[in-house]
Amino acid sequence: MVTQKITIEPVTRIEGHAKVTIHMNADGNVDHAYLHVNEFRGFEKFCEGRMVFEMPTITPRICGICPVSHHLAAAKAGDEVYGAPPPRPANLLRELMHMGQIIQSHGMHFFELAGPDLLLGFDADPAIRNVVGLIQANADLALKAVNLRKFGQEIISTLGGRRVHPVFAVPGGVNKALVSAERDQIFSGYHKALDTVKLGIQIIKGWAEANQEDINKFAVFPTGYLGLVKAGNTLDLYDGDVRLIDAAGQQLELFDGRTYLDYIAEHVENWSYLKFPYYKKLGFPQGVYRVGPLGRMNASDRMSTPLADAEMKVFKAMNPGKPIENTLHFHYARLIEALHAVEKVAVLLDDPDILSTDLLNTRHNYKGEGVGVIEAPRGTLWHHYWANENGQIQKVNLIVATGNNNWAMSKAVDSVAKTYINGQVVREGLLNRVEAAVRAHDPCLSCSTHAVGQMPIVVEVLDQQGNLTQTITRGE
Amino acid sequence: MKILLFGYGNIDRQDDGVAWHVLRGVAERYGVILPVFPEETTTEITETLTSTYALQLTPESAEWVSQFDKVIFIDAHTGSIEELLHVEELGSNFQTSPFTHHLTPQTCLALAESLYGKAPQAIIVSVRGYEFGFSQILSAQTRELAMQAIRKIVIYIDQSGD
Repeated sequence: MVTQKITIEPVTRIEGHAKVTIHMNADGNVDHAYLHVNEFRGFEKFCEGRMVFEMPTITPRICGICPVSHHLAAAKAGDEVYGAPPPRPANLLRELMHMGQIIQSHGMHFFELAGPDLLLGFDADPAIRNVVGLIQANADLALKAVNLRKFGQEIISTLGGRRVHPVFAVPGGVNKALVSAERDQIFSGYHKALDTVKLGIQIIKGWAEANQEDINKFAVFPTGYLGLVKAGNTLDLYDGDVRLIDAAGQQLELFDGRTYLDYIAEHVENWSYLKFPYYKKLGFPQGVYRVGPLGRMNASDRMSTPLADAEMKVFKAMNPGKPIENTLHFHYARLIEALHAVEKVAVLLDDPDILSTDLLNTRHNYKGEGVGVIEAPRGTLWHHYWANENGQIQKVNLIVATGNNNWAMSKAVDSVAKTYINGQVVREGLLNRVEAAVRAHDPCLSCSTHAVGQMPIVVEVLDQQGNLTQTITRGE
Repeated sequence: MKILLFGYGNIDRQDDGVAWHVLRGVAERYGVILPVFPEETTTEITETLTSTYALQLTPESAEWVSQFDKVIFIDAHTGSIEELLHVEELGSNFQTSPFTHHLTPQTCLALAESLYGKAPQAIIVSVRGYEFGFSQILSAQTRELAMQAIRKIVIYIDQSGD
C-alpha cells in the first residue's frame, strides 16, 4: 500500500506562518489534511513588566496588518484596569478609527487578495490570476479599490498621526480631537468609497450566482458562530456583548466579553502552535465556532446602518432562519461589513459630539485587571491584562482573531482537499482551491515580520517511503 | 534623477528592522539626522534623494513609488538567501502570499506600472538577519553588515548622478 503526503509550505523568514499537509491514501484520494500554524506567542511574555498605559502603543507592533485593532483593544483593556470609562466623544473617535481599519482591510482583501481568484477563476493561469491580471481586466475597478483602501488609511492617519502604529487611544479616552477641516476632508471621500463597496457587492453577488455549484461544495460545514452584538442582536464591530450561536442558529450564550474565561477555553494539538479556542460547555471539538465576517453575520440579526442592513437580509435569505455555512460566503459577508463601515463613517462624522474636546476621563477608579474586546477585521480579539498596584503588567492573555478561526481553517482545508483532489496528479488549480479555503478567512499570521521575496508555495507528493513523486512550485 | 530609499521592516523585532538603521546611516552620510525611531516620515535628504520607511509595503506604496526614477528597497533576509548582503535588480512581477497581506517590492512595482503607468528602475539591498526577538537592538553580525549596506547604497546613489 502506498500513501502520499502533500505539503504546501510558504517559505518564510521566521515563525508566524503556516503550511498545509495533505495526506493521500492508497487509492489516490485525500485521507486527511491539516493547516499547521507556527504562530509565535512570545508577545504576551514580552509585555510583562511594561506599564498598562504603554500597551496601546506596544501591542500594535504585534502586527502590521491590523494594528488599529490591537491599539483599540489595548486601550479598552486599559480603561478597565484604570477604571476610567472614556467620555462619549472619545468612544466615537475610537470607533471612527476602527471603521477606517475595517474599510482598508476588507477592501484590500476582497479586491486585491481574493478578487483575482474569484474574478479570474481558480483555474486561471497563475501568471494572470492576480491583482495585475485584475487591473488588466478592469483597470478602473482596480484604481477604485486602491482608493477605497486609501480612504480607510487616511481616517486612521488623520486620527492617529500615522497609518500603521497609531498614537491615539489611551486608557480613559483619546489624546487628539477631530477638527472640522479634518471631518470635512474625511467626508469628501465618503461617496466614492460607498460607490466602490456597492460595486464590490454587485460583483460578488454576480459571481456567487454564476458559481453556485462551487460555493455549495467548497468547505461547507457546521460550526458555532461568534461576534459582538448590541441591543436586538445588532452587529457591532467596536463594542457590545459576545453572542454565540450553535450550528442550527440557536443562541448558546450572550455574555459580557470581560467574562470570556467562563465561556471560552483553548485546546492544544501537537501539530499546530496556534491554539484552538472553543466553547467550554460543549467541549472540543463540538464547541468550535467561527468568527470574522461570516461569524458576525451569522451571530447577529441586523445591522445599524440601512444599506448594510438591507444587504444582510439578502444574505440571510440564502438559508432562512439558519446560519450560512459556506466558506466562500466569507467574501460576501466581508463586503457587507465594508458597506456598514463606510455608512458608519458618515453617521459618526455627523454626530454632534464628534468634534468635542471632552476626550479623556482622568478620574480613575483603579481595578488592576481589565479585558478589552473588539471585532478586528478577521474576528473577535481579546486583550486581558493583570497589573500590580503601580499599573505594571504582571500577566497578559491575548486571544487573537485568527486563533478563533483556527479549527475552521483546518477543517476548510480538509474539506476542500477531499472534495477537489483525487487521483495521483495534483493540478495547480486544485492547489489554489486549498489556498483559497484558507484565504477566505483572511488569516493574519504575520507576527509583525516579513520576508524578502515572496512566499513560494511548494507542493510535494511523497510516497510511503518518502520518495518524491510530484512537485508543484509556484511563484519562485 | 529622483531616487527613493524605501526601507521596511519591524524595528521592534531586532534584525527585521535593519532597514531603518541603514536608512539612518545613509542619511547621515549626506548630513541629515533621522529620528531614532521611524515615524513613517518621508525625508528629503537632498533635492533628488528622498527616504521613507514603513513596517511593510502596502498597495498605496505603489503610487508613491511610481513618482520616482529609481527606488532602492532596503530589507532583511534570513539564511534562505545565501549572501550576507544581497543586492538584486528588480522587475515588476506580481507575487502573492496565500496567508497574509504581505506585499513584495516586485508586486509594488507591478502595481505602480499597472495602475499609474510607471515602474521605476529598482534594486533591493537586503541584509542578513540573525536575531528576531522583541528588541530594537540589532545583532552584532547584522550591525556590521548594515555598515556595508550603507557604503554600498551610497556608492550606488553617487553613481546614479545624485
